[in-house]
Amino acid sequence: MSDDLPEEFDLIVVGTGFTESCIAAAASRIGKTVLHIDANEYYGDAWSSFNLEAFNCLLEQPNFTLRNGSYIWHGPESKEENEEMEIVSWTRETLLEKSRRFSLDLSPRVAYSDGELVKLLIKSNICRYAEFRAVDHVCILSNDELVSVPCSRSDVFNTKMLTMVEKRMLMKFLTACNDYKEEDELSFRGRTFLEYLQAQRVTDKIGTCVMQAIAMCDANTSFEVGMQRTNRFLGSLGRYGNTPFLFPMYGSGELPQCFCRLCAVFGGVYCLKRSLDGITQAEQSNELLVSSAGKTLRAKQVVCAPAQLPASLARHYGELKPHISRGLFIAASPLGNEELNKGGGGVILLRLLAEEGAREACLLQLAHYSGTCPEGLYIFHLTTPAISEDPSADLAAFTAQLFQANAPQILYSAYFTLTAQTIPKTSTAMPICCTAAPTYELDYDAAIANARDIFDKLYGEAEEFLPRAPDPEEIVVEGEDPSALREHSLPEDLRAQLQQMDIAE
Amino acid sequence: MTARNPQTLMALPNEDNFDFLFKIVLIGDCCTGKTSILQRFKTGNYVERHGNTIGVDFSMKTIEVEGKQVKLQIWDTAGQERFRTITQSYYRANNGVIIVYDITKRATFANLQKWIEEVRRYTASNVLIILIGNKCDLEEEREVDFEEARQMCQYIPEILFVMETSAKENTNVEDAFRCLATELKRQHDSNSVQAIDDNTVQLGQSKPLKSCSSSCNLT
Repeated sequence: MSDDLPEEFDLIVVGTGFTESCIAAAASRIGKTVLHIDANEYYGDAWSSFNLEAFNCLLEQPNFTLRNGSYIWHGPESKEENEEMEIVSWTRETLLEKSRRFSLDLSPRVAYSDGELVKLLIKSNICRYAEFRAVDHVCILSNDELVSVPCSRSDVFNTKMLTMVEKRMLMKFLTACNDYKEEDELSFRGRTFLEYLQAQRVTDKIGTCVMQAIAMCDANTSFEVGMQRTNRFLGSLGRYGNTPFLFPMYGSGELPQCFCRLCAVFGGVYCLKRSLDGITQAEQSNELLVSSAGKTLRAKQVVCAPAQLPASLARHYGELKPHISRGLFIAASPLGNEELNKGGGGVILLRLLAEEGAREACLLQLAHYSGTCPEGLYIFHLTTPAISEDPSADLAAFTAQLFQANAPQILYSAYFTLTAQTIPKTSTAMPICCTAAPTYELDYDAAIANARDIFDKLYGEAEEFLPRAPDPEEIVVEGEDPSALREHSLPEDLRAQLQQMDIAE
Repeated sequence: MTARNPQTLMALPNEDNFDFLFKIVLIGDCCTGKTSILQRFKTGNYVERHGNTIGVDFSMKTIEVEGKQVKLQIWDTAGQERFRTITQSYYRANNGVIIVYDITKRATFANLQKWIEEVRRYTASNVLIILIGNKCDLEEEREVDFEEARQMCQYIPEILFVMETSAKENTNVEDAFRCLATELKRQHDSNSVQAIDDNTVQLGQSKPLKSCSSSCNLT
């Protein structure tokens, strides 16, 4: 590497996962000089997306964040091998030919339309780097059939899964939830959401819809949390699409890159394939001496993804444990009936339960409209908290439910484990801040909270976390027409929006 | 055709009418003059030393092509080319790519192959690519002959044309963008069947609820 790299930075961030990228962007945005490095040759770390070939390579070579990887081809190898059978459109050969059209996520997520991620993207203007697609259906499994949960008023009245009485009951229940205020329903304080639901005397079907899809609760979820989740679901409805959820075009791996772009636009320096080899405290100053690729760099602060810690520091952490078990399937036909996959669409979200609700998994079906696979193919992402070192065994209870009746035509399946360490809350032995590994969650709330915490710790709460980046038209560049807008003379509609957002927070 | 607002939050001013919007990205080695070219095209000015223009992401300029208003949204690399760490997402959904080399530095020409490889890897197949040899005012320091660049382009079918420019002396800068814009418009005209997927969502652009009957709020 031709190394005209500066030697001093305010902040060195190691790892380009979502959380680290968020912190890098936020620091760069308030004028700190940032160096952002990653030991991998790609962006995103455990949050990245890969094409099919690169994904297979990754599964074959376990690293710090990913292990127990395996993949199997289910279809025929090539067309010739298959002459006597009926027409097969997809073979191992044709899939690999289109390898680059795939964008396979390690940590697929959806975002609530009115959730933390969406608010942050809009507030910071990072949204201009990303495109989203509305999730088409939120489903539940009912008698081994995939059924779409009605999300809008017209959905409720058009659905065939509910009787007239049930429709009214569901509307009434959701309206009550929406109108709920803290002081209401004191009687349910300290009890579970399920108890509340039962007290409303709803039918089993509605109970399943609410518990599994809308409130996403289990039997032990408290009343308050259940209510909060129901309202988060309701509050995100009717914004962009038919369901409350958005999925990033080209995969979740795009999002860390959007934050990195913002960091770079504000002067952040990027190096991939560069690891953190060691770190020491400088004598007679608070600076840290960071050795990386044979060079010593000085930094006031260092933030690091736990998986990219140098061995000398990693020992302060617990050992790497299986954290999330993942399954990834490529199929030539979608899950569910035609109604659910109209027009080749079909981004579907489904929460699955097993062992009497003690375990859960999340299924995300992606079609080519999501920009993550070629037309005519479907990707199923299965995610569950790991309970063993065997991801396929962890997921067996869920795949059995999914691929039972009307099983889709699966061409390829892969399993892997994402790892994490236990992070000590405070450690004096560690002069640096560590981010948390991706957790099992639908949205990015925990990751954003983690990034914001670290940012506050570094720069104090007085500094704004990712203020709005100006639009190009608002920046006066040397030699440019000075009549252009300046940042503090924003158009009025924009200022009003910003104020609203500040209030909403 | 409805153009998507790239700035997402801001409603495009009414007087800013245009018929087409194309996204173009600039790539090429460090210090080949990408930002200068963009500045020259956008403002008509030239600034000797740019350093890093903090906070500038992309520039917009509307030009008239064959009687239509064509708005170009041109993205700069934000310095991420320095250690060859341009994000994949930089290449998403673009219509045109301008690869810039420096005619006074042979190495920047030799690296073109790598840039083309990156474009092939990350962009859609119908993206239009042009090649620009910048700093043609420095004739006495020339290390790459124009003929050589032309020869090379014959072997790379994706490249539409090659042109030498000087951001400093304002040679061919406007022409390069204009030619690319014309090709983009023609490609669009002949491909009208290839409908744009309007189902994607850009945040901050939610449609008013009343106008979309299928997605009503429950309450």
